Amino acid sequence: MTLPELVWRSFRFRLQSHLGTLAGVIAAGAILVGALAVGDSVRESLKLKARERTGPVSLALLGGDRFFRSGLLEGPDTAPLLQLLGTANRQDGEARVNQVQVLGVDPGFWTFWGGSTHKGVPTRGHVALSAALAEALRAKVDDELILRITKPSALSRDAVVTPRDDQSVALRLKVSGILTPTEGDFSLTSGSQPPMNAWVDLGQLAEVVGLPGLANVLLRTATVSDPIADEAAATQALAQAWTLADGGLNLGAIPKALPSNTVELATRRIFLEPPIVQATERVEIPARRIPILTYLVNGLRHGDRLTPYSMVTAAGAPYTPTDLQDDEIVVNDWLARDLRVKAGDPVEMTYYRVDAGSRLTEHTQTFRVRQVVPLEGVHADRTLMPEFPGLAKAESTRDWDAGFELVHTIRDEDEAYWKQWRGTPKAFVSLRTGQRLWANRFGDLTAVRWIPNDGVATPTVVEALTRDLNQRLLKPGDVGLVWRSIGGAAQRGATSGQDFGGLFIGFSFFLIVSALLLTAMLFRFALDHRGSEIGILVALGWRIRRVQGLIFLEGVVLSAIGAGIGAAVGIAYARGILWGLSTLWRDAVAGAGLGFHLTWPTLAAGVGLSTAITAATLGGMLRALGRRSPRELLQLGGVEDAVVSRTLPRWIRWGAWTSLLVAVGLTAVAWSRRTVEPQQFFGAGALWLITALLGVRITLARLLPAETASRPQAIRSLRGLALRSLALRPARSIGTISLLASATFLIIGVAAHRLDAGREAGLRSSGTGGFALWGETTLPLLQDLNTAKGREFHGLESEPGVSVVPFRVRDGDEASCLNLNRAQRPRILGVDPALLAQRQAFTFTRVDTSLGVTHGWLALDPRGAPGTTNPGVPEIPAIGDANSLQWALHLGIGDTLEMSDERGRPVRLRIVGAVANSILQGSLIVSEADFTRLYPGESGHRVLLIDAPNGGTNLIPTWSRALQDVGLELTPTVRRLDRFNAVQNTYLNTFQMLGGLGLLLGTVGLGVVVARNIQERSGELALMQAVGFPSRSIGSWLALEHGILLLGGIGIGTATAAVAVWPSLTQPGSGLPVTSLAVTLGAVLASGCVCTAMAVGLALRRRLIEGLKEL
Amino acid sequence: MPAVQDAVIELREVSKCYPGTVPVTVLRAASLLVNRGETVALVGPSGSGKSTLLNLLGTLDTPDSGSVWIGGRDVTRLDAKDLARVRNRDVGFIFQSHHLLPQCSVLENVLLPTLADHGHPPAAAQERARRLLDRVGLGPRLGHLPGQLSGGERQRVAVVRALIQSPQVVLADEPTGALDRANADALGRLLVELNREEGLALVVVTHSLELARQMSRIVELKDGALLPA
Repeated sequence: MTLPELVWRSFRFRLQSHLGTLAGVIAAGAILVGALAVGDSVRESLKLKARERTGPVSLALLGGDRFFRSGLLEGPDTAPLLQLLGTANRQDGEARVNQVQVLGVDPGFWTFWGGSTHKGVPTRGHVALSAALAEALRAKVDDELILRITKPSALSRDAVVTPRDDQSVALRLKVSGILTPTEGDFSLTSGSQPPMNAWVDLGQLAEVVGLPGLANVLLRTATVSDPIADEAAATQALAQAWTLADGGLNLGAIPKALPSNTVELATRRIFLEPPIVQATERVEIPARRIPILTYLVNGLRHGDRLTPYSMVTAAGAPYTPTDLQDDEIVVNDWLARDLRVKAGDPVEMTYYRVDAGSRLTEHTQTFRVRQVVPLEGVHADRTLMPEFPGLAKAESTRDWDAGFELVHTIRDEDEAYWKQWRGTPKAFVSLRTGQRLWANRFGDLTAVRWIPNDGVATPTVVEALTRDLNQRLLKPGDVGLVWRSIGGAAQRGATSGQDFGGLFIGFSFFLIVSALLLTAMLFRFALDHRGSEIGILVALGWRIRRVQGLIFLEGVVLSAIGAGIGAAVGIAYARGILWGLSTLWRDAVAGAGLGFHLTWPTLAAGVGLSTAITAATLGGMLRALGRRSPRELLQLGGVEDAVVSRTLPRWIRWGAWTSLLVAVGLTAVAWSRRTVEPQQFFGAGALWLITALLGVRITLARLLPAETASRPQAIRSLRGLALRSLALRPARSIGTISLLASATFLIIGVAAHRLDAGREAGLRSSGTGGFALWGETTLPLLQDLNTAKGREFHGLESEPGVSVVPFRVRDGDEASCLNLNRAQRPRILGVDPALLAQRQAFTFTRVDTSLGVTHGWLALDPRGAPGTTNPGVPEIPAIGDANSLQWALHLGIGDTLEMSDERGRPVRLRIVGAVANSILQGSLIVSEADFTRLYPGESGHRVLLIDAPNGGTNLIPTWSRALQDVGLELTPTVRRLDRFNAVQNTYLNTFQMLGGLGLLLGTVGLGVVVARNIQERSGELALMQAVGFPSRSIGSWLALEHGILLLGGIGIGTATAAVAVWPSLTQPGSGLPVTSLAVTLGAVLASGCVCTAMAVGLALRRRLIEGLKEL
Repeated sequence: MPAVQDAVIELREVSKCYPGTVPVTVLRAASLLVNRGETVALVGPSGSGKSTLLNLLGTLDTPDSGSVWIGGRDVTRLDAKDLARVRNRDVGFIFQSHHLLPQCSVLENVLLPTLADHGHPPAAAQERARRLLDRVGLGPRLGHLPGQLSGGERQRVAVVRALIQSPQVVLADEPTGALDRANADALGRLLVELNREEGLALVVVTHSLELARQMSRIVELKDGALLPA
């Protein structure tokens, strides 16, 4: 017989006794493989979804509110898109969907997108819907829908002189088709929810919004496999193809200007952006450069005379004397007559500025008239007024749509001036003064002019300027035309999101440990049974190492078989979990459809890992066996001969003290921060658990009699006898207590993290911030709803107790637990931090202490932010929800996130604060001042936090109706928080189930220990009966002994979990569900009692005489 | 109604059969009377039913027919609770493998029966235990655990445990079976001495002729019947 044969025979012979061990190995393997398979499945499903939403797109040129020629780049590898936000309504008004992505595409797009010949491809007058939008609208082919679409404005609607009430247009369209996810779920931002897409004809959409021939998105598919080379090729192609017009710039001669050979660079966006202005400074042409800033002022006053609404130009010579002082003004003779001023007279100018929000604040500046100039020559140049939308095309002053209320009366003479001279400036100030007064986040010049030197032809100057600016001094990025990686980013987002495999392994950790403990315990029982076999082999001259190797080989065979079966069970388990995540626990993955995927490497890793850890567990037990003497080995299993000692290995006491100290330290830190992160929870909790278990071990040793006592005391009761019995088999007792304590710990820990949005929802410190409603609009809200005027604009009445904190929005990836992808470019919100600070809204888990601010929100104040570490890249302080930061963005306090501003320039958002479990999940929040600096084109507010009495229920119908044109959708904050909480709570349900399984294993472990103890001790029990113990006493004794294990396990688990979770219970929305916990733990206690009672009952029913035979 | 005034334990017409495919009758209307202070050796070949007889005497088993009298009471009519009390107060057991609780010290093992009787060991019992353990030479080892004792020492602990409640009769099943010659002889002597000192009856099942010869009477069990040897 060979050694392998001996192993196999032993294995076969002892198969029955191995079955229990095998079951433990199968459980551990199944949990591991199952968890890894869940991870694979989520990752692959997300990658599939990412491929669906980005299709063949590798790069995208995202213009946002910048529009370029739709034919900027042509060819089969590119496709232009006009992407605007809108709302979709059924014609019968039965359903409305906000936040609809309206996508204008030309027929060539579908070839680019995937060669689809879908008959539902939209033509003029038609719309194709993504499946999700069709479902939300309950729309079918040939239904009619009304799309209300954001009308883009050349100038931000926050700017002065921008119309604020023509921001949308409506289109009535017939549904041409409903697209499958592969055909219609295009999206450039990641999210678990399928996008609401309305596909329309590009030409029709562009015409309706007044942008014929333009687009704001250009998609590109990779032409080479290397993404860097691909991006380089795309950048080169763009650099060659773009024109100044694609950047919204107009360059050319202005024959109507004076002098008539004037060449001007202006922009559709009214204000020239700094990179463009800087480029014009570097132009080398034979012409004189004249920067111009023309502004609409509210009034020019002298004494009691007022000239309302006039253009004033800030410029140097020839418009103003070269030595014009900052407090001097040049007025034309029309104004001088109107105000009755002459040189040296004071003139008071009032004008609007836009603050960090979109509020206009009126300012006043007093000048002294330097000169009165005739309304002729350069001072009669009506082209100095930029093409202010709402003014430029107005025939009469009555047609003005300036975007603010005209409070001064426009007189007949003003109307006459407009009709004759249009926007010809009535006054001139120095450029420096003009820029000081009127510079804003959009720019500080409205034009740059060049007057060719004598003898230089205008076309020559235009040509030189075009060449210089277009090809040398400006890059597409300077006007916001930057390629952004889409396909790669989407795949990165899908693959670098939450690692579900790790998450499930993490939360299954206690379950795996429980399975291993059970496995070890059962293997130990099997070893005990083999005492004589081991003893015989040792007595026959085998080296103990060889015996160990023999049994270890058996263990490995057992582990491999168990892991193999476990893998099959694990696959079924993973399918079960995925089924749960698609049905019962749908909220945990925000409704994302998940399919089963498992790769061979993952399967191999799972099987290998479970084989290795179970084999290592068994190996560890065998190592301990090797430390026994041959005599002990021969007597293995005979407890009477066991050398029982009060003396413990030194490491147990050291370990207990060390883990106690570290546990106290970790808990103190958590308590001082009044928060617990999961790692801290498990770290501190596990250490408390280890401390308690080592404490139990020490106590058990102390229960043994001290042999050195001169007059030893006897056990005084059955309780003492029960404790002594527990001390006799410390490994078994500790094993059972560990199983029960771990599972109890997990169940309580999980329950403590359960969130209830309704708990103290009215408090400012809660996750709702004390706000009643969360509002989101599709179109930006330009009026201030906190003012009577703003409310009146929308037909809202003033209501006591109602106020609004508005947020600006830069769309991006949903950075909350509702998005399983890792947010690459999160949504950014801009808010006036003072509005939240004065309300003391929300609870901060952490704030960058180096800022020394009195309230977390004030950390957003740029003055309080630390200096940038990289002079080239500005750092912007940002605050996020703690959950979003940790799980969706993987960021902590002090970390930075690389982003880009509107023009594609890099910026860093530096995390300075984290808000606990709030409705702010999903976005990063910066101050409004920073926001408008980064994204000046994002006008108005699109998110509202609303304070309202009675939970705002009365407000919802009236506000939703009044603001339906901007697509306002109001959600009670409690409901919004509930949606986020549902994710965590659903995970907790899953993990509670895993904890429950652990507890089940613990209870099984207890049952096995009870059965084993009673089986082993039948002789002892018989003796007890023989010396006169009534059955009832023996039953009580056994029940007490095992009850101590049961209560000890549950008690230790409860106490250690309580210490560890206490800080998290102080968090908003947290609270222990005492009833359900009591029921769960009560059920465990009851099942443990039943288990014990059954085993005791069976043992006592055994005939006494049979027990005696085993004596 | 006791049969004999001085009888401590008595079997009357006791039969015992173990059922099975081939039923085995080990006792056929066997009778035995043991008086106070008497020592009886029960001998017979292996499988003759000696241990069964001892178990019936000790109320660890019940006869198919006949009765068992201890201290003037028919114990076959007692319920489980009263039987436990009889075993605790009137009978002391010594087993071949002595069976001590490994988790309990020498003193605690001896006091185990008092725990069943009183719920806690009375002071008098503790004193008696110490005295008896001293008497058998285990005075210095009261706090030791069974794992720290030799076979002979363990058996002496078992003897003291059997005596702790001052029973009327001590039943010993092969008490020297696991001991070497010297220890076996010493234990035999000890049992006889203790019998004399404590005035109790002693029934010993044994294969050892040396031990049997130290008893006042030898009874042989043969074919289910008890015969004087």
